[in-house]
Amino acid sequence: MVDKIKVENLSCCYNKKCVLDSLNINVIQNEILSIIGPANSGKTTFLRTLNRMNDLDVTYLRKGEVYLDNDNIFNMNMENLRKRVGMLFAMPIPLPMSIYENIIYAPKRLGLILKKSEQDAIVEQALRDASLWNEVKDRLDSSAMKMSGGQQQRLCIARILAINPEVILFDEPCSGLDPISTAKVEESMIELKQKYTIVLVTNNVKQASRVGDRTAFFLMGNLIEIDKTDKLFISPKERQTEDYITGRFG
Amino acid sequence: MIKLSPKLSQKLSYSILFLATILAIVPVVVIIFTIIKNGASAITWDFLTSMPKDGMRTGGILPAVLGTFSIVTCAISITLPIGVFAAIYLNEYTRNNLLTRIIKLAIVNLAGVPSVVYGLFGLGIFVMFLKLGVSVIAGALTLSIMELPVIITTARGALNSVPYSFREASLSLGVSRWQTIRHIVLPNALPGILTGTILSIARISGETAPILFTASVFYVPHLPHSIFDQVMTLPYHLYIVSTQIPNMPKKIIFGTALVLLIMVLTISFMAIIARIYFRKHRKW
Amino acid sequence: MRKIIDTVIETVIFICAILSIIFVVLIFGFLFKEGFAFFKDFGITKFITGKFWNPSSNPALFGILPLIVGSTLVTVGACVIAVPIGVMTALYISEIAPKGIRDILKSLVELMAAIPSVVIGFVGMITLVPFVRIFFNIPTGLTAFSGSIMLAFMAMPTIVTISEDAIRSVPWHYKEGAFALGATKWQTIRRIVLKAAMPGIIAAIMLGIGRVIGETMAVMMITGNAAHIPDSIFEPVRTMTATIAAEMGETVRGDMHYKALFAIGLVLFVITFIVNFIADLFLGKSKNK
Repeated sequence: MVDKIKVENLSCCYNKKCVLDSLNINVIQNEILSIIGPANSGKTTFLRTLNRMNDLDVTYLRKGEVYLDNDNIFNMNMENLRKRVGMLFAMPIPLPMSIYENIIYAPKRLGLILKKSEQDAIVEQALRDASLWNEVKDRLDSSAMKMSGGQQQRLCIARILAINPEVILFDEPCSGLDPISTAKVEESMIELKQKYTIVLVTNNVKQASRVGDRTAFFLMGNLIEIDKTDKLFISPKERQTEDYITGRFG
Repeated sequence: MIKLSPKLSQKLSYSILFLATILAIVPVVVIIFTIIKNGASAITWDFLTSMPKDGMRTGGILPAVLGTFSIVTCAISITLPIGVFAAIYLNEYTRNNLLTRIIKLAIVNLAGVPSVVYGLFGLGIFVMFLKLGVSVIAGALTLSIMELPVIITTARGALNSVPYSFREASLSLGVSRWQTIRHIVLPNALPGILTGTILSIARISGETAPILFTASVFYVPHLPHSIFDQVMTLPYHLYIVSTQIPNMPKKIIFGTALVLLIMVLTISFMAIIARIYFRKHRKW
Repeated sequence: MRKIIDTVIETVIFICAILSIIFVVLIFGFLFKEGFAFFKDFGITKFITGKFWNPSSNPALFGILPLIVGSTLVTVGACVIAVPIGVMTALYISEIAPKGIRDILKSLVELMAAIPSVVIGFVGMITLVPFVRIFFNIPTGLTAFSGSIMLAFMAMPTIVTISEDAIRSVPWHYKEGAFALGATKWQTIRRIVLKAAMPGIIAAIMLGIGRVIGETMAVMMITGNAAHIPDSIFEPVRTMTATIAAEMGETVRGDMHYKALFAIGLVLFVITFIVNFIADLFLGKSKNK
């Protein structure tokens, strides 16, 4: 049980309105950590801090440290960090280009591949790992904007896999999807944890119970409780956690 | 005063507004119609491709056409990259801070400077101070500064139209900021930038005051062959033949005006076509 | 490698961005340098309040009062014509015109902006000028009045387009409230829409004025270019812009006359700076709504 990510005393504010209050949490290698909590609990802010997407926002202020394999991520080069920690957004965001180009876009820019034969191999592998290969192998050159929502979200997963990250962050990845597409994304998530460490933020308590190895409950910028998923769902220690997972608020 | 019923007063007001609209449009139609009607017969192949003769009173306008073409080409190739880069800085690299506010104020100010003042400035800095002389390049530099605020404003609009999520997606993959701009933002903003650029080309083709003392001269007996040449230009030529030469045949004046008008309107029309085309083939 | 390219490009981008500031400073600097030298030699009060502009007399006279009067007269005249017509046109296009012809009307108004000012000046010279001379039975049609008419139409696209934007951005619920009280559409437009769109309309007018003050070629071709203080708008006048454009060719580079024209440029620069600054303030106000 090795800690992949260690968070120490992390506080985050936007325009002096604080959404996270001295958070301490760890993420174990090759686990799926689900984070649940009502709106404004700070869970998305937490996720976006892990690959420093929040740094784009000038009103964002942060205190505390985050370590990835003992390297402080705030001392790391931003691009290197994001290469190691990929992120999947709530809404699928395919780039306006073909399926094939979507996959090789980042590896090309990062200088990971040079030869055409390598490209083909990477595209196929990434699409297979995201269980999309069979659906799109005959139309790799068609526009990614024309795929269905579920396919687009899995394409976005494939795009992350192509740069071979260590951690993947999922930000409510199924909020816009139908139940069948959701099931497919969840399936690939469970397969992916063999190779990657996964942090999943979700509004869907059931989803957390289905895929999470451990689950953390956030409320108003505080970590209320974190435990093995079955333990947290069957016998939560805190009253607030119980209220939330049984649907009494949120 | 008679009190009108609301219904009647509405009818009356609408008619007045309609008349005002007609009044606003009539001059455009009159101008275009007058020029076409009187100038069409002057346009011959010979008129477009020969030198002016007999103190401009016969012959063609070739050197003026080529002069305008060379100045506009130079000006746009200078102003386009600068304008697009400046727009990228304002849109992609910073949010509101003191520096960007000063830059924006400078842009607003540049946009309002009268064209003849640009002419003065061009004369002072390019012709005299940098010793470029009255030349294509001095005129082009002057025009390029004049057009800079327009290019920056349209380029910013085009950059803004690219969804923010594309940038986020690209950055989240570890792609650097500039690479994101270069490979995602710019290609998708290109249609808007292109349309704006074509409109700018149309606008500066017809400008006279900025090149009055920086590039244009009354008459040059040969075609332009270097950017350090002084040249004849179409708008200045029209000014000359319509005001400075006594007993000028009307046909030549109208012909010159028509060529200038067709040139400017055709380019503007191309921009409109381009805009419609790009809107239809939008990728997102 | 990626890092190096990024740093180089980002430096270039930054330089391009601050070029706008540099250009404004340079423009002001060059105008100021020549203009200041002129003020020192000739005297700034004599320049501003002098009633005679005659560079070739002995001693040369550089009083820009007649030019300021010329510019002001033409500008005010143009506004009197362009503002009501422009705002009414904007109202018609945005609120009343049937959808089908709205875009056609708009493009026709904007078409005026695409026509080069020498072309407009030339057509004015051969149509408007003789008409004014015959209609008012005056010795010449090259008058401030003709110039005002021509400039009014040149300012029209600016006034109409920006006013129309402002009118169209008036929130729907403003109108809804008035309709609910039983007001007719016209009453709503007059009392509610016009009032709410006012900052944008003022900005449009200011930008139109900026355009009129700076206009050169058409004015030079139509207003007759007589540098004296006129008794009425049916006399020839000469504007500041036309003076620069017409006389720069005759000057010896660096002499008093040359510097005097730069001093006029400086005055123009300051005036347009103020006008555009005010316009920008109102634009910001109208957008914040």
